[in-house]
Amino acid sequence: MKRLSCLLAALAVLCLAAGAQAKTYVNGIDANYPPFAYVSEDGKPAGFDVDSMNWIAKHMGFEVVHQPMDWDGIIPALLNKKIDMVCSGMSVSPERAAVVAFSDPYYTIQKVILVPANSPIATADAAIRGEIKLGVQRGTNEHELLETRKAQEKLKYDLRFYDSAPLAVEDLLNGRIDAIALDSAPAKDAISKGKAVKIVGTFAEDDVFGVALRKDDKELIGIINEGYKKLMADPYWKELQDKYLK
Amino acid sequence: MHILSTIIEALPYILEGTLVTLLLVAGALSVGFCLGVPMAVTQVYAPKPFSRLVSFYVWFFRGVPVLLLLFLFYYGLFGLMGIDVGTVGASCLVLGMTSAAYQSQIFRGAILSLPTGQLKAGRALGFTDLQSIRTIILPQALRLSIPGWSNEYSILLKDSAMCFALGTPEIMARTHFVASRTYEHLPLYITAGLIYFLITLAGVTMLRRLEQKVRIPGYNTAGM
Repeated sequence: MKRLSCLLAALAVLCLAAGAQAKTYVNGIDANYPPFAYVSEDGKPAGFDVDSMNWIAKHMGFEVVHQPMDWDGIIPALLNKKIDMVCSGMSVSPERAAVVAFSDPYYTIQKVILVPANSPIATADAAIRGEIKLGVQRGTNEHELLETRKAQEKLKYDLRFYDSAPLAVEDLLNGRIDAIALDSAPAKDAISKGKAVKIVGTFAEDDVFGVALRKDDKELIGIINEGYKKLMADPYWKELQDKYLK
Repeated sequence: MHILSTIIEALPYILEGTLVTLLLVAGALSVGFCLGVPMAVTQVYAPKPFSRLVSFYVWFFRGVPVLLLLFLFYYGLFGLMGIDVGTVGASCLVLGMTSAAYQSQIFRGAILSLPTGQLKAGRALGFTDLQSIRTIILPQALRLSIPGWSNEYSILLKDSAMCFALGTPEIMARTHFVASRTYEHLPLYITAGLIYFLITLAGVTMLRRLEQKVRIPGYNTAGM
């Protein structure tokens, strides 16, 4: 009993000490989204966003833990304080901005159409206006956008939904869909990993990525914006882009 | 060869997830057992309002998909109740509560398969009903439940793959992460499948052994 209470006391002291040292924030990531966020060979979170946030944490004086999550549940998790931010290639959209706050944009990304290397589809426009099976990741901006456009412009594509971009690429290669609508970064990632696919163009205006935060968490919003300002002024920003996004 | 090296490289990471999966299954089975046994006893022996309550619980948890329950409790109800047990804890609780609904029916079936005269015999010997249930009925009923219970084990093991919805880093989630990085989906899913198969086999074999071990020699219910 005595030993147990000693242990508890030690633990309490440790917790207090850790609390005094630096605040720990949890960053929810979609680890199925290389190169922005994924799990590396040694089982640790890695990627452009993970490294960026680590740098910001180091220079702004807080600790960050990256928690891989299911994309479908990531905003509920943020609102329920299970995590403190989502820095994981999240596009800023009006629908999302209604419930969460976004940091200043840190990256601009194209929305592209990806087809098999031997596909007869030659342009993004041909894909969008054609009578094709079009894959898209569920719960993304592309998903929203394509559903709206299909209804508004009476387009003929048949949308197929996937849990992640890599799964959609796998099905594209299996021949179950004719094209995928996705962000340029994961599309380039698939190409760089030797998959027989090609980009035929963009199908919508560019999106910007921002860090999603809780609206009432003003302090953290300030810290993150300040952190990105510092990071973008540092040579490390260029280094990161060369490493992950070339 | 490339595929093989990818799998070998990913194996330690995925096997770490096996520990999480086993923890989930062990936790959920325990929660399910601790809730399921009293629920079964209540349903068989308690007055109407109480057994109705249990029936309602069973009806609810059997009628709603596990995935929905995970979302409902983790993002909704646990938050409202102020319970914060982390993703693994929440997954254990939700799977356990669902399992309790099924386990209670396994135990109820076993209790009902015993001759009703046993409780009366207990009373004649001066046992209270609770004493009879605890020392006469349950020891027999639990033994009879093991085959049905091993089913529950393998079902829970597979249901645990859904806990990734909350960010629980179990086998399936980790397999998915590695596949997204390497684009070797099929070989990795097969690897995960083999791991699940081995865990199922090991668990079911162990429960079969347990069944043999606790069997009472010469005991059968037919003659009573």
